[in-house]
Amino acid sequence: MIAYRAFTKRFGRQVAVDALTIDVRAGETVALLGPNGSGKTTSLKTAAGLIHPSAGEVLVGEPGLPASKPSARQACSFLPQKVLFPEALSGREVVEFYRAIRGASGERTDEVLRFASLNGAGDRPVRTYSGGMVQRLGLAVAVLPDSPILLLDEPTAALDPAGLVAFYDLVERRRGAGRTTLFTSHQLGDAERLADRIAVLVDGRLAGTFTERELATRLADRGSMRVRLERLTATMLAAVREVCPHATVEGADLVVPGTAAVRPRALEKIQAAGGIVTGLTTEEGRLDRLFLELVAGEGGDADGGRA
Amino acid sequence: MRRLAPFAVVARQEFVLASQSRWTQIFALVFGGLSFAVASSGYILSGGHGVQDFARTAVSLVQLVTLLVPLTSLLVGVMALAPERGAAELMFSQPVSRRTILFGKLLGLFLALAAAQGIGFGAAGLAISWEAGDEGAARFLMLAAGSLALTAVFLAVAAWISAGAQGHGRARALAIALAAWFGAVVLFDVAALAAASFLRSGSASRLLVASVLVNPVDAVRTGALLGIEGVTAFGAASLAFLRLTRGTAGAAAAITASVILWVAVPAWLAARRLERADV
Repeated sequence: MIAYRAFTKRFGRQVAVDALTIDVRAGETVALLGPNGSGKTTSLKTAAGLIHPSAGEVLVGEPGLPASKPSARQACSFLPQKVLFPEALSGREVVEFYRAIRGASGERTDEVLRFASLNGAGDRPVRTYSGGMVQRLGLAVAVLPDSPILLLDEPTAALDPAGLVAFYDLVERRRGAGRTTLFTSHQLGDAERLADRIAVLVDGRLAGTFTERELATRLADRGSMRVRLERLTATMLAAVREVCPHATVEGADLVVPGTAAVRPRALEKIQAAGGIVTGLTTEEGRLDRLFLELVAGEGGDADGGRA
Repeated sequence: MRRLAPFAVVARQEFVLASQSRWTQIFALVFGGLSFAVASSGYILSGGHGVQDFARTAVSLVQLVTLLVPLTSLLVGVMALAPERGAAELMFSQPVSRRTILFGKLLGLFLALAAAQGIGFGAAGLAISWEAGDEGAARFLMLAAGSLALTAVFLAVAAWISAGAQGHGRARALAIALAAWFGAVVLFDVAALAAASFLRSGSASRLLVASVLVNPVDAVRTGALLGIEGVTAFGAASLAFLRLTRGTAGAAAAITASVILWVAVPAWLAARRLERADV
């Protein structure tokens, strides 16, 4: 449905995306995850026909057409990260304009305004809208044609609670209807909740593609427990290393890396060795650290290399 | 109900937006006020009283048109055609070619500015018709046509300047538009006359002729004066131009060709640049 084929984009000397190859299949919900500047938005905007590839190609629809062709965009809807509308127009006039452009039926205007919880504010000028309402109006415009492909750039970043409810409901309904959704995010929560598959971009390169479960496991592996003891001895460290070989001492603390499952066993070893715990903190795996590891080549790929 | 083509949808939307724009409304008020003032006070300034006739008002308005219309067309054009990033992204992600969107917007802007000028010319025209009769109204309409030609030319230039300039590029496009206006309206004639003064008579004459055709402001000014008063209002450059084109018909054809080129070429370049731009 969306096919990136060795897609590369350069802005001057800067390489924004480097030889990205990935397929988003029909009916899939895929998240493009990565830190700021990783090339997520550039990749998404290229699928929306807004950016021209420097090399490679991006095909959308069935059969795949180059995204820059207007006919290819018939299959797509795109919601930018921050959307702007003429402030003098009402929400309804904005929707009506895009409805006329897309050739959607007249009833769709009321349907999408209702979907975006704007049916009470549809006749007010956009200049009276809050930021969240403007973004909801953007969402209404994006869902207007009920396109087979929906492209969303950081959709949850600017949405208010009402918009988030509408957005989560929308993605679930699209999944149920076998429609394709590709969205960018730098928040794992969105990806965990919505995506069938998560593609991680780091420095413009595809660092790996994961299912939600695979990514959660990876992050769990990267958690740690920090134990402060009344007195830390070499015997205690050796005992903990029986269940967690990478346990280390940092200052007065014993640090036990790994999943949550290893932590009770480590604590049992400490107590068996006579240790008295005076403090304990835990830290779950952080996405930014995983990104760094992936870019350093430590992460590998969960589903067999670059997809 | 028949579906409106995307080109017409975009043009209609742009007409509505441009008509509601404060800049267009200010232009309509200023242009209307000044046109009315010129029509009403022309005789007073020259020691007489009452309202000038259509022909005299048209001559008096030529300068106002060549100063104000290019400036307004450039500014309104750049502000509408170099939108903020979030607006441009949504618009250009629709299944419509960028060329269609650009030309639809240009048509909408043109119609909105034409309506604003209609208010100015209409206010002056009503006052003249009421006070001095309808004689010479055709010449007045010729100036209005010249004004519309200048609007089309400078909207096309604005499209060229602003093609692909979203977000931060907008301020730069506005600065370039102001520089283009200053160059075309103020600097060009001074530079052409200064250069001609250093040349021999034949070369100077050719330079002045070229200057009439190369600069759309001069072309429209020459065309308007030719239509309103014949050759009596002509200066050195226009007379040289008339000699070369062998009479008024040739001059009118050359001026028309110049204006058409000044609309078509920048509009084509703008469409080409926009098609290739990353939004």
